Amino acid sequence: MTLEARNVVAGYGDKSILEQVSFTLQDGETLAFFGHNGAGKSTTLKAVVGLIPVQAGEILLDGERIDGMPIADRLERGLRLLPERRGVFPDLSVKDNIDIVARRNCAGSGSKIARDDVYELLPMLKSLRGATAGAMSGGQQQMLAFALCLLGSPRCILLEEPSVGLQPDLVEQLFGTIREVCVTLAVSAILIEHRIASAMRIADHVMIINSGRLVFRGTRAEAETINLWDYF
Amino acid sequence: MLYLQLLIDGVVSGCAIGIVSISFSYFYATTGIFHVAHAGIYTLSGYLAWWMVGLGTPFAAALALAILAAVVVGYLTQRLLYRPLEESGATPLVLMIASIGLLTVLQNVVAILFSPNIVQFDLPWRLSHTAIGPIALSLPQAILGVLSLLLFAGLVLFSHHTAAGKRIRAVASNRELAEITRLDPKRVFAQVLAISSGIVAVPGVLVGVDQALQPYTSLLVLLTAVVAMIAGGIGSLTGAFGMSIVLAVIQSLSVAVMPGRWSVAAVFGTFILFILLRPEGLIRSRFSRAI
Repeated sequence: MTLEARNVVAGYGDKSILEQVSFTLQDGETLAFFGHNGAGKSTTLKAVVGLIPVQAGEILLDGERIDGMPIADRLERGLRLLPERRGVFPDLSVKDNIDIVARRNCAGSGSKIARDDVYELLPMLKSLRGATAGAMSGGQQQMLAFALCLLGSPRCILLEEPSVGLQPDLVEQLFGTIREVCVTLAVSAILIEHRIASAMRIADHVMIINSGRLVFRGTRAEAETINLWDYF
Repeated sequence: MLYLQLLIDGVVSGCAIGIVSISFSYFYATTGIFHVAHAGIYTLSGYLAWWMVGLGTPFAAALALAILAAVVVGYLTQRLLYRPLEESGATPLVLMIASIGLLTVLQNVVAILFSPNIVQFDLPWRLSHTAIGPIALSLPQAILGVLSLLLFAGLVLFSHHTAAGKRIRAVASNRELAEITRLDPKRVFAQVLAISSGIVAVPGVLVGVDQALQPYTSLLVLLTAVVAMIAGGIGSLTGAFGMSIVLAVIQSLSVAVMPGRWSVAAVFGTFILFILLRPEGLIRSRFSRAI
């Protein structure tokens, strides 16, 4: 699978946030996406999944233009988004959160990740099945949000600050799971993350955005030779 | 003895308002749309049943058909009115004004098609009473009380113990996530309005049987129901139903100590006092929508 953005301009209402953003992501690759608050990282992911309209440019998935498609059609093609801090249904239990999304996303026989699989990938959720999602700690909610994001047949997961609220040991566990999913299931990922060192460990490519413009794009090896902070 | 009778009358009346309140609350908490036209569906269902009974339809069948008609009207309201407006970026205020417009249309359609005057069901059993000790209860009151309790319990069970009910709660608690996990909020909204409308048809018909029908009075019923929803805690079905009974009992008992025309003022006075002392409502719902 190839996800490609070509000169994308997007924003809210008449206001443009992104200016000519372009990138390409191949099967199984992980792209770490950095930038300060308000630089346009979340806007980029929202434009890809369809939560905000693309004002100019193109977004393609396996060569097919998706920027004019409804959100449901993009999700059907395997795009998934983990939104920052709002990734769970707070009123429901962990089990109900997983069941309700699995019922919709794992209906077919070709599902890559079924409801039982997420308990194996994220074992801490097993003991929390009966807990009300909104009453759990921020870190536990992030784990559940990641589980919901994986259910079904994801092909490209877009992750907004997945480590928010997690203890350091859980951060490493979560990033290890992200890497495992990407490699074993050929799922690609775009990872917005403020823990730069942790994200760099699992990234194949690095991208930095500043005031809506991409100011750095390269492989992890290339990123390791520069001072990333110079681009913020 | 008078007080006991007024108390029972208040409880029965509160059950009916409670059903209006929970059905309104169910839709409002899910969508954020202030669906004033709910009062119009309440009126329409009563008149439809009255018209069918007048044609010789058995009452149970007329009630069932009125519920079905309300379900269809509710579903179409979401699909043909609220959804297009939302898709064009309408604000909640615009949606509420559109809803007021629909209420006006429904009330006038009822007045034109059926009657603008007060009408009563031609059912001999509507005047029969049962005496439980010193308490007199009309048959429509008894049916209304029992059906209201069953509907309340049924909606709570549906909401918490069925996949469809949990899906509705999921959409209500996080619409954006519902969108990106393919729960299809737009379809859920239409389903919720269909369910809410079907539920409100029951008091719409049975209150009409117990008392009478009039095209333009349902807005006051809805207003009391909304007050109960706010006082009960938005998003809490139990709170809305419980406060409906409390407010109706206060209204009923107030007649014994003050002129009847002040009874509505007693309800709203209680509401103001209550909301000043407990602004979050009777039952605080952690994840509910704020009004």
